[in-house]
Amino acid sequence: MSFTLGRWAAGAALLTALAAGCGTTAAAHSSGPKPATTTHPAAHAHTANPIPQHNGGDQDADNNGGPSDGDGNI
Amino acid sequence: MTIHLPRRGRYAPVAVAGIAAIIVTVVASARAGGPPGRSFPSLTPAAAPAGWMHADLPNGTAVLSYPPSLRSLAGDKDAVSAAQRGPGGTFQLFLNATPRQGTETAAHWAAFRLRLLRADDAATAHQDTAAQGVKFRGGTGSCVIDDYITRIGAHHFQEIACLVQGRTSASVVVAAAPAAQWARARPLLLRAVGAYVVR
Repeated sequence: MSFTLGRWAAGAALLTALAAGCGTTAAAHSSGPKPATTTHPAAHAHTANPIPQHNGGDQDADNNGGPSDGDGNI
Repeated sequence: MTIHLPRRGRYAPVAVAGIAAIIVTVVASARAGGPPGRSFPSLTPAAAPAGWMHADLPNGTAVLSYPPSLRSLAGDKDAVSAAQRGPGGTFQLFLNATPRQGTETAAHWAAFRLRLLRADDAATAHQDTAAQGVKFRGGTGSCVIDDYITRIGAHHFQEIACLVQGRTSASVVVAAAPAAQWARARPLLLRAVGAYVVR
């Protein structure tokens, strides 16, 4: 019986370590400050821009070098 | 039947219970996103000062308030914007409210916003700070403060952008200023964001 409980405790400790690791990761993504400033050149844009720039598409300020609005880019 | 546990075994259930409590606490904290981080500024949900203008979202789900020094700005027909322009039409202050349109969620709002900026109109964008569980008038939001450089004109803006969930709908409120003027503009912009009403 003591052997079984010992294994239980060891397993729970392992789970704790894993959960702590996951928790730290989630917090870093959701609310923590970004640890390092990384710049990406324009050539590294991740996806094609569906809204044309230079006053194209919806003619928002953000298609002309102005601040970005809150649209979902759809 | 009576089970006689060895001395070490007697403490095992206590240890397991303690470990389980730690796991629950860690997981719950991660899922909730926790309170706003220390570096995230205080955002007070409060009515706009007297004399401020108000603009309802066309679908009636939110109200954007802005000081009279800003002017309503044309944009998407389902959104409202206001801005203060400087010499040559440069943006000094910018406010916008838009109904939630994409796949953005409270849990992943900061990453979504940065990805959208980089994919849409920014050459570079990086997060300064973010928070979840931010109280708004009529709802709760996830907010990110970031700065980015536009592809056109290489203008460097800093912004606070929040996805705010009301009782019946969600919307996005954005407040931005040139990064060089952010420190001076921030109190006013935070006040405008704090006055944002969702339904």
